[in-house]
Amino acid sequence: MNGKLSQLRAQIEQLDSLETAPAILKPLLDMMRLPSDQIKLEKVIELVSHDGAIAAQCLRMANSPLFGTRYIETVRSAVMALGLERVRSILLGLCMNRLLPQSTWVIAPDAFWRHSLGCALVAQRMAQRMAQRIEYPEPEKAYLAGLLHDLGFLVNSVLYTEDFRECLRCAAEQRAPLHVIEAQLLGFTHCDSGQLLCEHWGLSQEFVDAARCHHDASPLPVAGPLANLVRLSDLLCRVRHLGYGYDEIMGIDLRGDAAWQSLVTIYPALRDMDLVRFTLDIDGAMEQIVETVDSVFGAKSIASSTTN
Amino acid sequence: MPFETAKAKPALSLESSPGASAYLAIRDLIYRTSGIYHPDEGLSVLITHCMHRTAALGASSPSQYLEHLTTRPNRAAELRLLLNEITVSETYLFRYPAQLDALRNVILPQILQVKGFVGPKCLRFWYAGCSTGEEPHTLAMFLLEEKERLLSGWTWDILATDLNDNSLETAGAGIYAEHALRATSDGMRRKYFKDVGDKKLQANDLLRAQIRFDRVNLSDDSQMLFQKRVDVIFCRNVLIYFDPASKRRVVQHFYSNLLPGGFLFLGCDESLFHEDDSFRLVHFSGATAYWKPAAAQAVGGRQ
Repeated sequence: MNGKLSQLRAQIEQLDSLETAPAILKPLLDMMRLPSDQIKLEKVIELVSHDGAIAAQCLRMANSPLFGTRYIETVRSAVMALGLERVRSILLGLCMNRLLPQSTWVIAPDAFWRHSLGCALVAQRMAQRMAQRIEYPEPEKAYLAGLLHDLGFLVNSVLYTEDFRECLRCAAEQRAPLHVIEAQLLGFTHCDSGQLLCEHWGLSQEFVDAARCHHDASPLPVAGPLANLVRLSDLLCRVRHLGYGYDEIMGIDLRGDAAWQSLVTIYPALRDMDLVRFTLDIDGAMEQIVETVDSVFGAKSIASSTTN
Repeated sequence: MPFETAKAKPALSLESSPGASAYLAIRDLIYRTSGIYHPDEGLSVLITHCMHRTAALGASSPSQYLEHLTTRPNRAAELRLLLNEITVSETYLFRYPAQLDALRNVILPQILQVKGFVGPKCLRFWYAGCSTGEEPHTLAMFLLEEKERLLSGWTWDILATDLNDNSLETAGAGIYAEHALRATSDGMRRKYFKDVGDKKLQANDLLRAQIRFDRVNLSDDSQMLFQKRVDVIFCRNVLIYFDPASKRRVVQHFYSNLLPGGFLFLGCDESLFHEDDSFRLVHFSGATAYWKPAAAQAVGGRQ
């Protein structure tokens, strides 16, 4: 396994397509770490205007029926109409979408974005809910960690295209978790490759841990709160039709899950949190989350954005 | 310059809605007393129900309606009327496919594995509050379909109970109109139903023989103690009408009625408020249930 990972690390470092991450990714990730009230509107507009395809996508969305009837023709009005949440989803999504040529996407791009953005939104909500009880000031980080946790899919798509395709086919056929099949067929999982890519891109250790640990069923107190939040969000998304494009056979016991136990170890005040009510809230929000995801990264918008 | 996040739909905005605080108080009251929870996105549904009741009472505002629910002498009766409004929904056969999927893929394999080692190969199911019998008939068809596959070598017993004699009579007859059968495939209709005219179908003898109907009062301790060694209990929109102390007692009974490793299904929006200490909430693909943990057992296979 270690040999396999060293090999993988070397492959990632030599990978041209992933090395040339779009220039705006770094400033964007930096900006997204800030709480929303510290983000400068001018900075966002600048980043959006920097890239024609992204600007076009923002304008297209701002003019969709979801956002009313007024015709919007400037990047500034589009950004203001869409709001921070959607703009950053578009930015990050399109950035990463362009890391790979369309032909190397093994997992359906819309399923991938549904799951990633779904996780981001659930993790953010969970962090906000927790913040009512404990000092947890970073729902933005939770959002980002959720969005980035499955980056390993991109690595596997590029480096092991056919084998990864076979993993997805088997997993869907057996309705089994993808990482279990990856471990059997590839000898490593998207957690391993995601961790390596996050390290390669110089993301901070919390994001590396979230990518690395989100399928670990053993206790994760060392991994910090973000990895645990992302694991729980990933589970919730997968039992609510926001998985990898197929419904897995699974039953999850959140309170009994290692990630929840770790969070309670880190923040004992969470022990009394009404987890049932929280999950009912998430169930209620799922429809809206799906709608948001589809409006941002629906199959149509992805297809059209890559031709720009 | 900071800016606001746009909302996808300008759905009922709580902040701007008159009486928002009254509605939030009603939401919490309903959750505390019945376990039914309306998340923010579903609040407009609750508000519509409240508005119907407010109009029926001639109350003038949400906060006045809140008084009807909390301080007026008839508050218990009004709460019941509001709950009736909230839960009014006709049911039909095969209404909850995700629940059957969870039974087929996770719950039954897990129970079969444990019970396969010990005791007779028999499963016990109990519908507590079976109403007019759509759900137990669905379960019976599901089990019959699995007879040669998952349940090969196994037998089962389905007990369906209700307090209402009229419901029990309808359920026992097993006669359903087209509307109740709208999710039932032609194959299942041919296999398990016969035409009784007047555009109605009746469960055939094979299907009806799968279910025992009986009158059980969930508040009657002596009757509750009698139900033992059950694998799965279904109790939809029944506990919501119980006061917290009675509800706790019924839930404790359910817990001892179940074998270790058994499951309790409630209605979709219904919960054991603040999770009963002994039961564990389990999420399945598109469904949830409460689990009575068995020693040294984790739920739900690979994750």
